Amino acid sequence: MKRKLYPYEHVAADRGGAVVTSLVMETQCPFCSVQCKMRLTESGSAVVGEPQYTVEAKPNRASEGRLCVKGMNAYQHAVSEDRILYPLVKREGGFERISWEDAISLIVSRFKQIEEQSGADAIGVYGGGSLTNETAYLLGKFARVALRSKYIDYNGRFCMSAAASAGSKALGLDRGLTNPLSDIPLAKCIVLAGTNVAECQPTLMPYFTRAKENGSFIIVIDPRETETSRLADLHLKVKPGMDASLANGMLRALLDEGLVDEAFVRERTRGYDALRSHLLEQSLDEIAAMTGVPADLIRKAATTFGRAATGMVFTARGVEQQTDGYMAVRNLLNLVLLTGKIGKPGCGYGAITGQGNGQGGREHGQKADQLPGYRSIENPEHRAYIADVWGVDPNELPGKGVSAYEMMEKVYEGDIRALLVMGSNPVVSNPNASLVQAAMERLDLLVVADMFMSETARSADLILPVTAYLENEGTLTNLEGRVLLREGHRPAPGEAKNDWRILCELAEGLGRGAYFQYERAEHIFEELRVASRGGLADYYGITYDRLRREEGVYWPCPDPAEEGKGRMFEASFAHADGRAELIAVDNHWPAELTDDEYPIYLTTGRVLSHYLTGVQTRRSHTLASRDFESFVELHPKTAKQYGLADGKLAVVTSRRGEIVVRCRITRTIRDDTVFVPMHWGDSQNVNVLTNQALDPTCRMPGFKVCAVRIRPFISNHPYEI
Amino acid sequence: MTRQKLVLIGNGMAGVRCIEEILNLRPDTFDITIFGAEPHPNYNRIMLSKVLQGDTPMSAITINDYAWYEERGITLHTGETVTAIDTVKQVVHTDRRRTTPYDKLIIATGSLPFMLPLPGIDKPGVTAFRNMKDCELMVETAANYQRAAVIGGGLLGLEAARGLLNLGMKDVHVIHNSPYLMNRQLDPQAASMLKQELEQQGMRIWLEKNTERIVGRKRVEALQFTDGSRLAVDLVVIAVGIKPNVRLAAESGIDVHRAIVVNDRMETSAPNVYAVGECAEHRDMVYGLVAPLYEQGKVLAKAICEQETEGYHGSVLYSQLKVSGVDVFSVGDIEDSQLSTMQMSYDGIRRTYRKIGIRDNRIVGAVLFGDSGDSNKLLSYVKQGADISVLQQEASASGSGAGGGTTEYVSGLSDSETICSCNGVSKGTIRATIREQGLETFEQVRECTRAASSCGGCKPLVSALLQCALESSDEDAVQAAPLCGCTTLSREQLKDAIAASLTSSTREAMAALGWKTEDGCGICRPAIRYYIGVLGRVSANGRDQVSTAALTAAAETEAADTLVEEGAYAALANGTYAVQPRLYGGVATADQLRRIADAIERYQVPLAKLNGDGRLELLGLSAEEAAGVSQTIGGPVAAHMYGRPVASVVTCGGIAYERGAVRDSVAVGAALERRLEQLQLPTTVSAAVSASPLHRAGSLVRDVGIVGVPSGWELYVGGSAGIEVKEAKLLLTEPNERAVVDTAAAVLQLYAEEAVYGEPVWEWLDRVGVVAVRERVLDPRSRRTLLLRAQYEAEQPMAIRGECS
Repeated sequence: MKRKLYPYEHVAADRGGAVVTSLVMETQCPFCSVQCKMRLTESGSAVVGEPQYTVEAKPNRASEGRLCVKGMNAYQHAVSEDRILYPLVKREGGFERISWEDAISLIVSRFKQIEEQSGADAIGVYGGGSLTNETAYLLGKFARVALRSKYIDYNGRFCMSAAASAGSKALGLDRGLTNPLSDIPLAKCIVLAGTNVAECQPTLMPYFTRAKENGSFIIVIDPRETETSRLADLHLKVKPGMDASLANGMLRALLDEGLVDEAFVRERTRGYDALRSHLLEQSLDEIAAMTGVPADLIRKAATTFGRAATGMVFTARGVEQQTDGYMAVRNLLNLVLLTGKIGKPGCGYGAITGQGNGQGGREHGQKADQLPGYRSIENPEHRAYIADVWGVDPNELPGKGVSAYEMMEKVYEGDIRALLVMGSNPVVSNPNASLVQAAMERLDLLVVADMFMSETARSADLILPVTAYLENEGTLTNLEGRVLLREGHRPAPGEAKNDWRILCELAEGLGRGAYFQYERAEHIFEELRVASRGGLADYYGITYDRLRREEGVYWPCPDPAEEGKGRMFEASFAHADGRAELIAVDNHWPAELTDDEYPIYLTTGRVLSHYLTGVQTRRSHTLASRDFESFVELHPKTAKQYGLADGKLAVVTSRRGEIVVRCRITRTIRDDTVFVPMHWGDSQNVNVLTNQALDPTCRMPGFKVCAVRIRPFISNHPYEI
Repeated sequence: MTRQKLVLIGNGMAGVRCIEEILNLRPDTFDITIFGAEPHPNYNRIMLSKVLQGDTPMSAITINDYAWYEERGITLHTGETVTAIDTVKQVVHTDRRRTTPYDKLIIATGSLPFMLPLPGIDKPGVTAFRNMKDCELMVETAANYQRAAVIGGGLLGLEAARGLLNLGMKDVHVIHNSPYLMNRQLDPQAASMLKQELEQQGMRIWLEKNTERIVGRKRVEALQFTDGSRLAVDLVVIAVGIKPNVRLAAESGIDVHRAIVVNDRMETSAPNVYAVGECAEHRDMVYGLVAPLYEQGKVLAKAICEQETEGYHGSVLYSQLKVSGVDVFSVGDIEDSQLSTMQMSYDGIRRTYRKIGIRDNRIVGAVLFGDSGDSNKLLSYVKQGADISVLQQEASASGSGAGGGTTEYVSGLSDSETICSCNGVSKGTIRATIREQGLETFEQVRECTRAASSCGGCKPLVSALLQCALESSDEDAVQAAPLCGCTTLSREQLKDAIAASLTSSTREAMAALGWKTEDGCGICRPAIRYYIGVLGRVSANGRDQVSTAALTAAAETEAADTLVEEGAYAALANGTYAVQPRLYGGVATADQLRRIADAIERYQVPLAKLNGDGRLELLGLSAEEAAGVSQTIGGPVAAHMYGRPVASVVTCGGIAYERGAVRDSVAVGAALERRLEQLQLPTTVSAAVSASPLHRAGSLVRDVGIVGVPSGWELYVGGSAGIEVKEAKLLLTEPNERAVVDTAAAVLQLYAEEAVYGEPVWEWLDRVGVVAVRERVLDPRSRRTLLLRAQYEAEQPMAIRGECS
């Protein structure tokens, strides 16, 4: 008799007969600012049990039907077993499950107690740039109406504040891209300053390769060779933190070559005379020495950009996360304005937002000094308008708080005693992370709303489980300034709740529930429309219906019957006089320079397979398997000098702390600079090293440059047997 | 919803291609009607030369046969000419008095040959070279006459002349008015090489000669030239160029300049009327080559389907001469006066010539003669306006200055290397997909593997891989050597065959797979037994008691089935056995050593020693002695069941005694050995645990190496100190002892399932790639499954093994 011991057939038969159920979700990637649309199908069956997932890219105007490896695998963390499913409370050093009712009442009573003892400002709120517009808006309202605290800020401070304030001051309005993406292929010269599009927003790359096919000359400014710089016709390998000076060199060269668009400058800008005399004091040779970029290359970049019929300039964190980030962006905007390359097809400026909703997140009140619609919290008219929308007395609205990192200092100093963190991981994302960690431990109450046990959540007193992007409907504004609706069809796992719902329940507990009556995200959006109406970031004309029908609408859009504006500043700028402002920018050295003790510059950035502090992407096995740990990238000369070898561990030390990471030796980086990515915590948290010095204008920390020393973690001396 | 009426005037390549695109985008949206003046379905006009040259039958150049139109519900009127378009009422009228309404109208009337205004042009024996009818006329004439002249030494003229030679005509003359042939595409150097080549083929070429008139009474008899000379001919083919066929459009009031004026969306001046192909003029350019027409067709299809399109922005022109025996390619600007410099090479022996035009450090044009192998690459350089640095890179990559750089680069990469970093596609995946699915084009590869579908940066690599794969496809087809003399199956095939055979003993498997010998041999028997065993382990995963019992039965039967000498202990070269006592993590107690010493004495063990991977071995025993020895030892010994065991786990001095120690290697070494001891593997696997990155236990050259670091434990896999010395690869860093031991077990379980019997870990790892393994052990679901299967092993009672303490 033939024995059939292995039940293959049964499995096959069972599989064939099984009822497979599928959930098809139209959604968009939760990660970077492109917000690529996709369709996720989750199918499972009673017999086979384990669900299967398929991801398809969906055509849309930004990603044109592309997805990168992050998007392809973005479902993994959302369906991960690591999700926090129930509210957790910390007892005796460990977390225990607690009911929502108990969690809310515990938080409310602690909040009340702290408010009584130390005032409303002793409670802070810390948000994130991945939250939907609805939640970001509500978080701002929650801080100001439910808690009546002035202390609210968010991680978008680290993302967009330099470009945002520069755009506002120079052009009168900050919208990520002044042009639609479709203008990029029309640009005959493109400057990519401190932006690694290929690894941070890969699905945008075809716009640039198309530009190149059309004959565009691409200039990349970056201390490192990246996947993006491989596209460049000219790569200016600038010293970290010297972008503003490099721009001064380019501007001076423009002047020398007579490439200033005099008519544009005369008719559409102000401040040229001061800028001109400032530039005449600049010496290209001195700038070459300061920036580490040869003078002839600076001149070549300037003349190519100046002579090109059309051109665009893009910046990102490389330029912006500096202690002169605001001024550096201003100087690159000077470049755009002096050559008249804005407000026309193929001409414009773009700040390539990092976070999914970095753009929307900053417009609607998560920022310490802003109210919805890009209104100022210090402007009495703006206060009155918003107070009216919210139905509160304008005098009741608190004033302006402090920036994200300064909040951490306030916590450390004890001014802030309770903190609600939503959609953020400040222990890994702030500079000088050791202080931030210590600050978290000092809090009387830390409430973290998150999907996962993030590095910050570990220090929490209470963790509130929130829904993932597949489960939470809402709008996000992509890097172009295009508002997109993300549907949320998947049922929430366990007892996870939508973040905005949690805010409503807390408000209820705090006795302010009347101001937080929403059934659905769309109700919040309806209020946001009105709140933003007449503001710079006017969303009034945008509705969920339109978003569904039109696949996204650009702001500003004041009228439901009008199209949003794809290309800004065609006729005039957003200042009262319609002109853009030029400004003289001084050469600036980084806040921390190298010396004998700390002889090397450290700069930070992203890798393709991870996003932000990695709380989500590190929990996706496909992404984690591509980069499972951090590393330090260094030049062979640096390696030789400090006795380091490829693949071996190195200790990197700054004045603030030390980390241990693996060496990756490559000639693609300057020999005076090392690079460590930002996606890991604990002993690999690069922000333990980074400098907390802030930009004086926008309060952006100078993440991108600090001084370090580096040594092998362990060395094999022959006498050490 | 009622369907929109879409009418196409012109049943040629550009128009029909556009219809295909539309059908791809919106299959069921339009009622399509096509009018074609020629009495054929759509054929490939470019290939007419091939037909004429006798290389290709007429039928082979038909692109869309009648069935194609029928299947798609397209109404086709061939041999019917549209005579008027009423752009107000949106209808077209034809010469058969048919009136057809349209919602969208595409004009793709193509072009007409430019007939020189020569006296005598209308005589019989004078023809253009444009359509099938012309072709037929030439074929007929060639059958009866010997002498032909082609007026026009351009692309088409030369192809026609070559065709006439092929048709057997004796005297074929080419009359050209310029100083050199193909003067729009070639430079004088390439043209003179071409002339020489064509003359060798039998053509007579006359340069700078202008025809005055065509002489003849009933039919053509001679050409009269302006210099007074005369040439007697029987056939004259006029191939001096084409002019857009725009009369219909012009008469219908649509804006016409040189051709029908269209914008970037291919819209004409009339609403809902579009034009595409040779009859369209876009930004002052009229294109007569096929690639631009297809590019236009794509844009137009999107415009008609109301889809987002970037619009048409013009095309880069290139051409390739289709004359057998001549290899000519030209693209972009090659005229010296238009260039700032150039790269040239001329080989008078091989008769090849190559010139790359450079302007402002960008590649703007190229001409190739004799070897057009690089034409695709150069075309893409010109399209991109590539920087000259690409030529420098090529030169340094290939050492010879021409071509091949990318191909050599990709063929040097290992299969695990990532080609598309956006989508994480490895070289191995791309190669396997190309092979398994028989892919032939870059687009297919992109579709099936997703490589190059995001940023597109790896497109050159993917193309090069495809080329390599196509070239080496016959290598893959070669049958690998059989495992042994008992079978024709290779070692890889055996594994799959056993999985498919559902057998549960070696004998059964051999019978099922047509073994040539009754009992197999020492090579195939252990392999078969291993596969059966490991498959049992896989299928028993998470199953009920029934299958567990079944497996036990299988194992027992197996033991009875097999010859005794392949049993529990490690078999040695001389037919004796070795017993390998387990000392977990290399830690020994006095009692253990005492018992081992007793056994050595009692059984007079011929040789007791430590081997290369740290095991204590007692060698040279008979099967009975081995059993006795292990009984005497009383503790665990390495178990050989159906596969090979993990050897002793070697450790360094540990946290207390090792300089630089970060973590306790000895404890983890012991835990690892206990965890892995029952796993049956395709080869004996070595393992080591070091307390610090000094790797004092040799962790970099073991199959599995674990190393204490500040963030936890590093896990290295695939090292080897054997015939191939390999440095292990870092798989992961785990935060704690439990996680790293689990991961090591999961990796070895995966190896046990996937490797071919006898394949070392490093070879398997190279084959599947470290990222793929990482993904499997990080994915919670597959990790759980692997651990369950590894665990299951430990719980199984064993048929023959040393007693455990």
